Amino acid sequence: MSIKVDIPYFFQYLADGVEVAEVNGSTVGECLEDLIKQFPNIKQLLFTKSGKLDMFRDIYVSGESIYPEGLAKPVKDGDELYIAILVAGG
Amino acid sequence: MLTRDELERYDRQIMIRGLGEEGQEKLKQTKVFIAGAGGLGCSASIYLAAAGIGVIRIVDHDKVELSNLNRQVLHWDENIGMGKANSTAEKLKKQNPGVKIEAIAEAITEANISQLIAGFDLIIDAMDNLPTRYLLNKAAIGKNIPFFHGAVYGFEGRVMTIIPGKTACLQCVYHGAITPEEKFPVIGVTPAVVGCIQVTEVIKYIAGIGKLLTNRLLIYDGLNLKFTELKIKKDPNCEHCSHLVTKE
Repeated sequence: MSIKVDIPYFFQYLADGVEVAEVNGSTVGECLEDLIKQFPNIKQLLFTKSGKLDMFRDIYVSGESIYPEGLAKPVKDGDELYIAILVAGG
Repeated sequence: MLTRDELERYDRQIMIRGLGEEGQEKLKQTKVFIAGAGGLGCSASIYLAAAGIGVIRIVDHDKVELSNLNRQVLHWDENIGMGKANSTAEKLKKQNPGVKIEAIAEAITEANISQLIAGFDLIIDAMDNLPTRYLLNKAAIGKNIPFFHGAVYGFEGRVMTIIPGKTACLQCVYHGAITPEEKFPVIGVTPAVVGCIQVTEVIKYIAGIGKLLTNRLLIYDGLNLKFTELKIKKDPNCEHCSHLVTKE
């Protein structure tokens, strides 16, 4: 199963400059685990020290938020994950 | 009733099918509240004034600093140290004397927000922090005032339009999450683009034309010149809007 992950510009310096990564998994959590296997440094920007998804990030599966299921939300072949960063500047 | 001068000033937009003189009259009758006179507030207020909005109230308690000038284009070197709300109002009054501009140099708080937005038809979110955005979101929903969200970071922006009782709100998107209050990177063109999109939404809403950016969070990526839309659903447990019946 192939899932694409859009890596935000702010994370790309920790992912060898890669903009879109291919990952495997049947849930969002598994896909992110695979992403971290490929780019271990990304973990610090996605998860808190206690292993929870950072509250300043939101993940969208083919345009739909993973809320309220969270990381357990299932994904299917061809889905695209989008990591949205909470932005508050004006 | 539009005056002869107004008919000439707004001639090119009156030509737009769906806007016309009727839409222009509606713009003239509308009172818009802008929360913040920074990068987004400057950009949004310029184009609201140019479009002929009747009344603009701009609220900001900050003073102009040198480091603001890369993006807050209504504040100039000569305004350093001056209140941002007054600095903005000074320019807008010259830009379009037909628009009534009100400047208020106050911080927006839970205690004064109700009074600040009273009597206004629409609210533009041009803030630089999430706690005040949530205050505005909640107040807008409480008073049934459409709320036009915008935010920036670096070359990235976010925009969404919120119609109380009908569409998802800001709390539905972020669930109360807040970012640390710290200096954020930004290039001036980003709030210029985002502020203009917010005003585009305002004009469409007033004229009743086009398709609003509701239940959709627009992500503007200036570096790749890409716009991405994320679908936003009303959160049935939203602390701000779940008590309202969906009318769609």
